Amino acid sequence: MNRSLLPGAGWLAALLLATPAAHAAGTWTTDAAHSRLEFTATLAGGDFGGTFRRFKADIDFDPADLAGSRFSVGVETASADTADAERDLALRGADFFAVERWPSARFSAERFIALGDGRFEALGKLTIRDTSREIRLPFSFKPVADGSRAELAGETTIRRLEYGVGQGEWQDTQWLGDKVRIRFTLQLRRHTTTQP
Amino acid sequence: MQLRNTVDTYGALAKFLHWTIVILIIAQYVIIEAAEELPDGLEKLTVVTRHKSLGMLVLGLALVRIAWKLVNKAQPAPVPMPRPQRIAAAAGHGLLYVLILAQPISGWMMSSAANYPVTFFGWFQFPALVGANKELHEFYEEVHEFLFQALLVVAVIHVLAALYHHFVRKDDTLRRMLPFGRRRSV
Repeated sequence: MNRSLLPGAGWLAALLLATPAAHAAGTWTTDAAHSRLEFTATLAGGDFGGTFRRFKADIDFDPADLAGSRFSVGVETASADTADAERDLALRGADFFAVERWPSARFSAERFIALGDGRFEALGKLTIRDTSREIRLPFSFKPVADGSRAELAGETTIRRLEYGVGQGEWQDTQWLGDKVRIRFTLQLRRHTTTQP
Repeated sequence: MQLRNTVDTYGALAKFLHWTIVILIIAQYVIIEAAEELPDGLEKLTVVTRHKSLGMLVLGLALVRIAWKLVNKAQPAPVPMPRPQRIAAAAGHGLLYVLILAQPISGWMMSSAANYPVTFFGWFQFPALVGANKELHEFYEEVHEFLFQALLVVAVIHVLAALYHHFVRKDDTLRRMLPFGRRRSV
């Protein structure tokens, strides 16, 4: 099969297969235009930011039903945008996201802990390239407009080398730091269609 | 040799700043030309990063030099020369200062527009001067290259003028800025 004929098909298929049709918890539609997934990395002792332009977040979340809640997020790694064409090209390349082989990064979580005051922690699995790791993702959940909309936001820090992001000379962390801060804000709208 | 300027000669600090800035600017050119030869990768990144830190050092030293010039009231007395020549010298020196300041600032803006951090050898980060913008990045890149060529032209005139004073007019203009230069006994 020629991979290049079906860009992104792999992550899309994986996402569809991983999403069951019905849940007990509140199901949300992510407003892609107003949601953001950003990262901050360090280069030569300074920070620079980037954003993933394309990602799909399937959020089933109900603070009153954490057991029935789940996150399933697929991020198109080729959509990483750091406002510099050369660096973006490098990020897509074999040494970093290797988007030809692994077009998507994924986060899925089915366990949630309430921390109080609208804050929660998701215990889930983050997969970048071919490496999956269990991570804790703290986030806040703020219902707005009578619960018809909500804002889900959080941040965490991961170590890129634990996922193989940075091969060969890029394993050196003197210039490109290991820690990468990930920050997201999702604007959610309550799903209106009836679930079967 | 004393720190401050005297009526006869520049002081140690003015000389140190003048020659350090000269050496750094030449090094900056060599460094960035070497970086242009490298393929994209870690080595190029490290070389360009050093170029940026050194550029910020030049900016800092140039500011100190200008500040020192302003607080150090005693300037060496001008070598007697016709008024148009004196005006040309003052204008040339003013232009050199402007270019030496503008060159690192344009590089800083170029980095900011490309969303690359500018640090001082990794010790601390300078704030971005402009937001990320690909077109602006290309514009500042051209400005940065143009300013270097302008600096080169003015610096060559500066050197030729100094050599003219030294070898043709045989006055103290060059000698009083040389690292261990002494004014000839009059």
